[in-house]
Amino acid sequence: MREAALLAAALAACVAGMGWLALAMETHWTQVRPDAPTRAAVLRLRALGSLDLAAGLALCLRVDHASMAVLVWVMALAGAALAVGLVLTWRPRWLRALAWVVSRP
Amino acid sequence: MFPNFRQAMAWVHTWFGLVLGFVLMACFFFGSLSVFDREIDRWAIPASRHAAQPMPSFDTLLQPIFRDMQPSKESLDYLRDRVDGPLPARFDTVRSWGAYTTHRDPVLSLFTSYEVPNARDPDDAARGNRTIDPRTGAALPDDRLKIGSQFFYPLHYSLNLSWKDLGYWIVGLAGLTMLVALVSGVVMHRRIFREFFTFRPKKSTQRSVLDLHNMTGVLALPFHFFFAFTGLVIFAGIYFPVTHTQLNPLHEMHEKLEAEETGLPHDRAGVAAPLASVDAMAAEAQRRWAARGMAGEVGLLTVSHVGDANGYVSVYRAGTDRIALVGDGIHFKASTGELLREDPPRTAVDSVNTFLTGLHLQHFRHWLLRWLYVLGGLLGCVCIATGFIFFVEKRKKQHAAAGSQGSRVVDALAVTTVTGMLLAALTILIANRLLPETLPAGWPPRGDLEQYLFWAGWALAMAHAFVRSAPVAQGRPNPAWREQCWAVAAMAVAAVLLNWLTTGDHLARTVFIDTYWPVAGVDLFLLACAGLAAGAARRLGRRTAAGVRPAPRAEAAHA
Repeated sequence: MREAALLAAALAACVAGMGWLALAMETHWTQVRPDAPTRAAVLRLRALGSLDLAAGLALCLRVDHASMAVLVWVMALAGAALAVGLVLTWRPRWLRALAWVVSRP
Repeated sequence: MFPNFRQAMAWVHTWFGLVLGFVLMACFFFGSLSVFDREIDRWAIPASRHAAQPMPSFDTLLQPIFRDMQPSKESLDYLRDRVDGPLPARFDTVRSWGAYTTHRDPVLSLFTSYEVPNARDPDDAARGNRTIDPRTGAALPDDRLKIGSQFFYPLHYSLNLSWKDLGYWIVGLAGLTMLVALVSGVVMHRRIFREFFTFRPKKSTQRSVLDLHNMTGVLALPFHFFFAFTGLVIFAGIYFPVTHTQLNPLHEMHEKLEAEETGLPHDRAGVAAPLASVDAMAAEAQRRWAARGMAGEVGLLTVSHVGDANGYVSVYRAGTDRIALVGDGIHFKASTGELLREDPPRTAVDSVNTFLTGLHLQHFRHWLLRWLYVLGGLLGCVCIATGFIFFVEKRKKQHAAAGSQGSRVVDALAVTTVTGMLLAALTILIANRLLPETLPAGWPPRGDLEQYLFWAGWALAMAHAFVRSAPVAQGRPNPAWREQCWAVAAMAVAAVLLNWLTTGDHLARTVFIDTYWPVAGVDLFLLACAGLAAGAARRLGRRTAAGVRPAPRAEAAHA
């Protein structure tokens, strides 16, 4: 049960991380919110995204042997990126849940 | 020939990808199904629908069964032309007995090999095999096809084309092409990061299909690369068979030297000897693994040179907690149970090799990773399928204007390998549930018949794709895409219903009442496939009706 919870948290961290990395790109940001992000906001989104992906790896390492954990993480990244890509295609507004980290102008 | 490197790469990507893409599609799709091969086996063989079992007692249960076993009919047929004189009625000199199980196996596979008197090639062996229920020792009927592990699984690396190992070579070439396609694809695609998350289904078909092709290719790039690469590593011995051709004398000598080094006898002594308790040896092996901090179950058990003073027993660990596929074998003298050898720690090269092999063969116990592998494999299918569609979309108007049939043929082949392949896979599942338990005398064995029907189903789908392909030559879509999507949806639902009717295992039971995930998982997967196929078919129909230039969206059936 503990392992399942940790893995679920790892997946969630990967999805959120990929979501922030996507929002750091102007094309995708404008799909979610009308204002243009500042340079500082873009950097913050990138940093948050990268940190979250790293957190995903750390969570995977808590569950499995290192060789297995890395593999789970790499595959989870692919799954998370796909999920974010499809959300941006059909339900971009859902990513507002991640856009709050940048305050409105 | 080409003005720049990128265009040269584009040429390689297009044409190599097109020609071998049809093979790659089968490798990726049936490879994805093989992730759950044991579960598909349970669906196909209702008698084996019970929980996974550990290795049973050798002394009381397995030994009498092994003593009763003899070579299979196929093995004897193969040997008939390879001996001087007739084959003996009974084979008594046993080279080896083996029993193999995994953490997902409710049934146990037994295999044996025997020395062949008068064999022209002394390396030839007569082989037997049997699948038993490890709780009782009862044999499963041997004409039952394990559709997952004996059909879909070998299909993905050999196309089940055994003539001169042709299948292995075609798949090897396809694997190499996959690596080439990945590298050339990355070179061609300039905006990898900018378009990482981009899929625009409302743009033109050509554009949106290319989006999907790039997205599925790039997102799962590490997966695609590693699976094509490790697949080649696993079969390197087949592609470069130096040890058994040029170096044969050396290989023999190496085997003998290795035997001297390991203390495991290479040949029989010719002196009869009894067999001590193998259960005690297995228990000792488990104790030694536990002492090394890697307690585990027995996965593979073999007895070599049975009944001889040189006989030995090897116990291998089931690898469930590491990626690397290793057995950490412990070997005992068969007559006394005395420890002969423990496999030493691996060298660096060995470690890399077992890691790569294990990464592909996935013996580990990790359900999330298994599903992520399925996702990776299906993303590969979408990538290849959208590649075909892009090829056709880009050319069909020019071809129509020029009166060429090129894109028509490619499109029909794409239908065959995308929806047609799904139809073939569904055909074998439906045949498995519809064929009677015992077939009339004179019919082929049940498992063979299922395989014939698989190929027949695929051939029919191909014929349908070509018959309906005329509109493509005029720049319009092939209605076969939509029709086959409907067929996939109908047949997937039919397979689930037939499973219910013939075994009584409906989803309410396998999920809630008497939970059995292997069968429930296959049923749910089939229903999801039906839903996606029906959705794709409706979309294709709407586009046709609206007069918009429609797009084959069959890749959804794979996603």
